[in-house]
Amino acid sequence: MIEKLIGILERENVEWEIYWEKGRGGSFRIERERLERSQRKFHSGIGLRVGYKGKLGFSYITGLNHGRETLEEFVKRTVKLAKVSEVPFRGFPTPSKLPRVDGLYDGRIEDIPFEEAHSLAGEFATKMRELKDESLTLSGSMALAVSRYGISNSNGIFFEEKGTGMSVSVYAVKRGNKTGSGSYYQSYRSLQPFGELEKAIKKAIEEAELSYRAVRLEGYSGEIVLEPEAVGALLGILLESLSGESVYHGRSRFVGLSEEVAGGDFTLVDDSTVEGGTGSYSFDGEGTPGQRTVLIEDGVLKSFLLDHTYASLLGMESTGNAVRDFRTVPHIGMSNLLLRPGGDDLEDYEGIVVKKVFGEHTANPVSGDFSLTVELGYVVRNGELKPFRDNMLVGNLFDFLRSIEGVGRKLIRKGSVYSPRILGVAKLL
Amino acid sequence: MERLMRKAEELAERYGILYYEIRISRITASHLTMQNGQLEELGMNTEVGIGARAFNGAWGFSSANDMSRAEEAIETAMKIAKLSKGDSKIYLGDPVKDRAEIRPKKSFLDVDIEDKLALVKEVDSLLQGDGISSRSVYYGDGLKEGLYFNSLGSEIETIVPRLRLSFFVTAKENGEMQSYWKSFGGTAGWELIEGIDLNRWTAFVREKAISLLHAQSPPSGEFDIIMDPELTGVFIHEALGHAAEADSVKNGDSILAGKLGERIAVEGLTVVDDPTLPGKFGSYVYDDEGIKAKRVEIIKNGVLVNYLNDRETSALLGLEPNGHGRAQGYNYQPLVRMSNTYVEPGDWSFEEMVEEVKNGLYMIGDKGGEVDTANGTFTFGAKEGYLIENGELKAQVRDVALSGRILDVLRNIRAIGDDLRIEFPGYCGKGQWVPVDDGGPHLLTRALVGGLR
Repeated sequence: MIEKLIGILERENVEWEIYWEKGRGGSFRIERERLERSQRKFHSGIGLRVGYKGKLGFSYITGLNHGRETLEEFVKRTVKLAKVSEVPFRGFPTPSKLPRVDGLYDGRIEDIPFEEAHSLAGEFATKMRELKDESLTLSGSMALAVSRYGISNSNGIFFEEKGTGMSVSVYAVKRGNKTGSGSYYQSYRSLQPFGELEKAIKKAIEEAELSYRAVRLEGYSGEIVLEPEAVGALLGILLESLSGESVYHGRSRFVGLSEEVAGGDFTLVDDSTVEGGTGSYSFDGEGTPGQRTVLIEDGVLKSFLLDHTYASLLGMESTGNAVRDFRTVPHIGMSNLLLRPGGDDLEDYEGIVVKKVFGEHTANPVSGDFSLTVELGYVVRNGELKPFRDNMLVGNLFDFLRSIEGVGRKLIRKGSVYSPRILGVAKLL
Repeated sequence: MERLMRKAEELAERYGILYYEIRISRITASHLTMQNGQLEELGMNTEVGIGARAFNGAWGFSSANDMSRAEEAIETAMKIAKLSKGDSKIYLGDPVKDRAEIRPKKSFLDVDIEDKLALVKEVDSLLQGDGISSRSVYYGDGLKEGLYFNSLGSEIETIVPRLRLSFFVTAKENGEMQSYWKSFGGTAGWELIEGIDLNRWTAFVREKAISLLHAQSPPSGEFDIIMDPELTGVFIHEALGHAAEADSVKNGDSILAGKLGERIAVEGLTVVDDPTLPGKFGSYVYDDEGIKAKRVEIIKNGVLVNYLNDRETSALLGLEPNGHGRAQGYNYQPLVRMSNTYVEPGDWSFEEMVEEVKNGLYMIGDKGGEVDTANGTFTFGAKEGYLIENGELKAQVRDVALSGRILDVLRNIRAIGDDLRIEFPGYCGKGQWVPVDDGGPHLLTRALVGGLR
């Protein structure tokens, strides 16, 4: 059907791009250690962008089984939108050689019978019952997905790829005369052994036990170590200023490159070519090759995240960061984000460690001011852990980045964010 | 459609399914975004899809966005339910046959895309001004036509229009940057847009962004806080609303579990979630489980009197079903969600409230929030504020997040204003996004302010 659509488009005097997707997913929701909601969903569709006399039109259609008449109507509608739209059209990418990115697809996920996935989720729930005691209530989820997607445009691009994914989450609540809660989340490209599910349960329980014992600390100002998940929350705020779209529209803290924005050891990379990375791809949502982009190197700003349109508007090259599905036009987004490990041993750090925070969307990405609630942290003295929570971690992101005194050696992955621990200066309320 | 209903009946018999429900929806939507005078997106799309759910002591669900797969989706949901046999119960109730339409005065489907483009351009040009470095405008509308049927014999047709206009500016001066924004929205038609005083509100956001460039950084620590109606809305949504969702109670994840009938707040406090308010962004007539939407008093005169529930949690907790099972779309399973959540007004005037405060803050506007329902800790952001010293409003302060513990903050409410406003449309995320509104009057309580000073 894609060929038929391309045939129709080639007769029109327009530039065009189609992005298609077809996938299915099974997901399983466990509540109170019982498998309560199971689902299997299918999706497919095509997004079409048309460039005509410097203007762009976009629309989408769901499903991949359409007759000629529907497809002609789809093309006609999109061309008409291009004629009235006034959205500037900056051209489509031309074909380039794609990198080889391994580990995106695991046939075992595509081939696993639904019944088998369902019984794996059932065992996951059983394991929860085994590992918990009376004071704990556990819930969680497991999901498997497979997707095929492709892109083609009037400059000769025609790429297709397939990918698989698995994700696991556990949430634990501990009740007694107080309350504590803990959670664990991870995503993967390949089918995981049962041990990963068991690990998720244990991690969530461990965190709930710590949280149960946690109290609010007195105020503190000074050196603080952030664990990878807390670092991830701050990187999320920083990313808004690194998007080429924010830069172009004057909404970013940054106007140009080469500015010193962080402490000397801070190097941040976006890399869509990481083997088996959950954010990896060999081409982005416009057909630009996946690549490794150094955003900040040794504290100095080196690149923004760019798609074809904003790269062209800023006079730069696309970094292959156009993210989309068939319902949307491409938007700038991260692939895998890596904070380069440093030479500091922060694993046995004695002092204040913040593990998890929440509320990062209340931060101001432009001024950089943040005040986040500490979900869990701990004070380490002589190897002993005293957990705390409910304090606010406050500071200014850009001041914090410049205050970084240490970057840990051990890289931890959470989904598509890879980070070590970092040591910087902030305040706890 | 009748063929599909018969088919579902046949399949249910084959798989021994006790209960099933099918949702088919068609959404006709358009959206436009403009940044700094440049149109970035203009989309007009229609999407049809089906979601099928079957119950056998546990749920099986399947969906398809290709109607040629409708029967397959129904069969898949039933197969999964058969495989899943659990021991949960659900509320069934009597079949409902109804057709419910929220009818706007002027349908946005009758407004040309050129006129919507003209609106976005007008807002963009009104946002221009000295000191404004960036501006963006978003307009979106969608008409959702839904058909719901279930194994009890319910057949419900619903038509709900929803639209939203929002704009955002960033002001810049000497390396300092600050932003401000405003949203309008409702289950309404183009008349909502025509009723907005665009000159007034665009000037308002410009002036706010510019004034924030010179505002102080807020202090840190625990303070008396007066919240404006918008901030009261996000506060009550985060602090109380999420913990009152019955699925969270069921999963041991709510600090409000086991507290029905207990006094948890000051006596004057009444909190309501009402999906039946006419025209509000979070309104609907039937929820996504075919249950009629009901106004729910969560707290009445300080006492926790109800949870928001769905078919499953109402059966589990022995509560009257109140129609709060909502899904993001046909391809999602309903979850217990809020609609329009607000605090009922009291009898304090704003001036009286300010006079009450010796050393505190007047905080304004919603920057979103987040809650840990199990531990009862929440965070919410304010767009700006003013210091209050000895009963008088003083210098302006910048945006900041506040935090508190639900039960403490509800008991620390000292004054409830007489000026109710519920006009702050937004989206609430809980793994799925649904449109909501919230609000209330001015409210005086205590909270932890995360300022840098």
